[in-house]
Amino acid sequence: MVLAAKKDSGTSRTDLPQGPVFQNKKLKAFKENAPFLIMIFPAVLVVFLFNYLPIYGVLIAFQDFMPGDKILSDTTIWVGFDNFKRFFSDPQFWPLMKNTFLICIYGFIIGFPLPILVSLMLNSLKGKKTAKFLQTIFTAPHFISLVVLVGMLTLFFGRYGLVNNLVASGGGERYSYFLETGAFRPLYILSSNWQDFGWSAVIYIAALSNVDPQQHEAAILDGATRFQRVIHVDLPAIMPMISVMLIMSIGGLMGVGYEKALLMQTDGNLAVSELVSTYVYKRGLTGVPDQAYATAIGLFNSIINVVLLIIANTTSKKFSENSLW
Amino acid sequence: MSEVILKGLKKVYDNKVTAVHDVNLQIADKEFIVLVGPSGCGKSTTLRMVAGLEEISDGELYIDNRLVNDVAPKDRDIAMVFQNYALYPHMTVYDNLAFALKLRKTPKADIDKKVREVAEILDITQYLERKPKALSGGQRQRVAIGRAMVRDPKVFLMDEPLSNLDAKLRNQMRAEIIKLRSRINTTFMYVTHDQTEAMTLGDRIVIMKDGYVNQIGTPQEVFNRPVNLFVAGFIGMPVMNFFDNCRLLKENGKYLAEIRGVKFLLSDFQQKALTQNRAEPCEIVAGIRPQHVTVGEGELSAKIEVSEMMGSEYNIHARCGTDEVVMLIPTIDLTADVSMGKTVTFTTKPSLIQLFDKESGHNLIWYDEESAANDAPVCKTYTF
Amino acid sequence: MKKRKNALRDTLGDKIFYIINGFFLLLLALIILYPLYFIIIASISDPDAVLGGEVVLYPVRVTLEGFQKIMERSDVWRGYLNTIIYTALTVVLALAVTVPAGWALSRKTLPGKKLFMIYFIIPMFFGGGLIPFYNVMSSLGLINTMWAVILPAILSVWNLFMTKTFFESSIPNGLIEAAKIDGAGQFRIFTSVVIPLSKAVIAVMALYYAVGQWNSYFNAMIFLQDESKYPLQLVLKEILIASESTVGGSGETILQQFRMANLLKYVSVIVSSLPVLCLYPFVQKYFAQGVMIGSLKE
Repeated sequence: MVLAAKKDSGTSRTDLPQGPVFQNKKLKAFKENAPFLIMIFPAVLVVFLFNYLPIYGVLIAFQDFMPGDKILSDTTIWVGFDNFKRFFSDPQFWPLMKNTFLICIYGFIIGFPLPILVSLMLNSLKGKKTAKFLQTIFTAPHFISLVVLVGMLTLFFGRYGLVNNLVASGGGERYSYFLETGAFRPLYILSSNWQDFGWSAVIYIAALSNVDPQQHEAAILDGATRFQRVIHVDLPAIMPMISVMLIMSIGGLMGVGYEKALLMQTDGNLAVSELVSTYVYKRGLTGVPDQAYATAIGLFNSIINVVLLIIANTTSKKFSENSLW
Repeated sequence: MSEVILKGLKKVYDNKVTAVHDVNLQIADKEFIVLVGPSGCGKSTTLRMVAGLEEISDGELYIDNRLVNDVAPKDRDIAMVFQNYALYPHMTVYDNLAFALKLRKTPKADIDKKVREVAEILDITQYLERKPKALSGGQRQRVAIGRAMVRDPKVFLMDEPLSNLDAKLRNQMRAEIIKLRSRINTTFMYVTHDQTEAMTLGDRIVIMKDGYVNQIGTPQEVFNRPVNLFVAGFIGMPVMNFFDNCRLLKENGKYLAEIRGVKFLLSDFQQKALTQNRAEPCEIVAGIRPQHVTVGEGELSAKIEVSEMMGSEYNIHARCGTDEVVMLIPTIDLTADVSMGKTVTFTTKPSLIQLFDKESGHNLIWYDEESAANDAPVCKTYTF
Repeated sequence: MKKRKNALRDTLGDKIFYIINGFFLLLLALIILYPLYFIIIASISDPDAVLGGEVVLYPVRVTLEGFQKIMERSDVWRGYLNTIIYTALTVVLALAVTVPAGWALSRKTLPGKKLFMIYFIIPMFFGGGLIPFYNVMSSLGLINTMWAVILPAILSVWNLFMTKTFFESSIPNGLIEAAKIDGAGQFRIFTSVVIPLSKAVIAVMALYYAVGQWNSYFNAMIFLQDESKYPLQLVLKEILIASESTVGGSGETILQQFRMANLLKYVSVIVSSLPVLCLYPFVQKYFAQGVMIGSLKE
């Protein structure tokens, strides 16, 4: 056995023809990993059925479609962008856009910083057990259902809710906040925050728990107060997370769902509580359904969201190192 | 017979990075071979190719005269001890040991017998019902070894098995592995970055760097005749002293080494090797091991910068021109004053000087018996 | 000596910071807890006292009438039973779909991994919307069956990626290699090594899917027509939100019904939310459970 180290000749063997051997290897690797394909198949199927088939179904937005029609057949009537044009000239168009945008932007202004603030505050607590306990309390409302949440809202702010009960016992008039246009947004946003600020804070709390305690100790030796340490140690530590969450929130600026708004809608507050998504539901699934029209509206809305997301991500990529992709 | 043969083994990753170049190695039955080198040298990758955990990009691997390139790990008749132990945390020690046998559908009674036998050897019988997290590092290590032992593998692979233990435990486990070896009596392939482990455990050592095998030999061979500067620097503690800008001279048909102006007439063996290698006078790097330095005589001189009394010996860092020289001087031989700041003279036996070609870095007196017998110039058969 | 001690103590500024911080956190906790507390005390108080604004800090004229009444409401219990069935089926199917897929996605050697990733990411950002979704369910023949509520809920892409991340970060590669050398195949590795080590993530996933199904009402509302199939949330929706104007009859009955309806609201909130809120802290321990500690060192 002579020395094997020949630096120059080491690379020469790659030039050898590798044809059949190579394919064999690929086949072998495939055989070994084929079980993964079986494991992933059910998920692929579920996503195909409930996510991709509806994406295909979006085609009806460009058709004159009646429930029961096939999406693609000889009798399909294509109408191009007619349904979209109809939406733009719908008297509801501007109110819907405004309502949707306002509820999202107000929700964002309050709902985005609150979890960050809470996570920093919890992290600054001296007793770690207390922090854990408080966190458990703060996250609990996340597990309350929307129906119960809106139910609770009526129990507090409805005509026979706590607030009115107190007012009435003091001799005042009962007054349902649910019939009032001015109360819808505050109720909607405050209840959403009440339910989810603790849950949203969890992700920041996790990031904060990874901060090296020695960084804090170094800052103490440098003479930083506790508050200065929050600003100069804790906050920078969660900055990347904040950027990512910011991008996601901007992407969802027009993406408010129908589930809660539908529950809170009354004839009285419809002027502000009718959102794009609830309108889609009403036009597409209730009364005399106009599915093609409703689909067009929905599609328009989700395209806005995708565009917003892409803009947010590109901007963030340009100005910082953080981006979703 | 469980001979392992690596023929031109090569690993190229998808990103075209070559981790292992053309490794040729013939491991005899029941031999204990150690792959050693700095991190990233390809030693672990080589071992993992033998284990079947890495695809072999090129070359052939034979275990027991069977080409196993395309054989699944479980069918190669090998067992492996991992650096992180890789014990199944949800299973008891007993189940950890029995898992492989269960998968092979070994009868229950046989499994039980085998597991208890191995546990007895490793002295872990009292922990059989415990989970790994209830064990200490050394105990986990034993379980990991036991898991490999129960299978009676043809080849026993170990990937840095001691690197997670503290220094004391490591020495203890090293001794245990040596003891164990006589009981297991199979072929071992052992990967480590620690040259002491390599020297103490290996029948032969394979020294790797940057994906290339630099030298294969017994501990004595690689210590006495390192093939190049890298091996010379890697094997041995403290590290060999290298003197730059030295020269190989030839006067009256005899080779001499000139170090800092002092000429050393080389020994017969060195003369023979140099002749064999057809060496011409040239610039060289001379290497002298700290253990081979004698203080208080000779013509070389150095100023002592640090002098550490270690009990039985002095560990001296001195400066000789631009070179730092480390000397390991047994207290018993010491006649000179070696306190800090003193200038001392030192020398070495000419036969202990290593001579490295300045250009290629390989050892001009590296001597291969086989080539010598055939009267072939050794140096010409390898280039780095 | 004295000076040294002082150096370790908080400065005045820090003390003020801690006090303000603690005060606001306490306030937040009260804001969270009071509504929940109020619902509880209102549910066991005389409805008249509640309507009269007497119930604020403690129950007044304690009565369990509401709980007795709700026991008699067969629609509530049928909804409860339906929800339990739907939730159980959802969790079982969801785990069967999510966990293996998450494992496969976490493997570098999954053939076509990149394509699969893109396949799963797209629906996170873009969907067909409500109407095409409804039409798909309709053409699959799922309308007015419980599967319309269950099947769309058995895979959340978020949960899938969470599982994938867990597997990537928490299952050491060495363990999988050891199992391979021990002779286990891919399925065996999954069942004998991966699943036992993933109790934490499986528990968390089960919790997420269960809570999601337990709390959902919308799919049931648009897909289910028979009241006998209604889940609890839909029944609750009737009781809590849509019932104010449904009272008929005259005189004393109206008043009596009205009192009862109001009491029932408080009671139903408690009865429906209790299981979830009780389950949450119980499952929370899995978050922190370090199954891997002890088997590996960095």
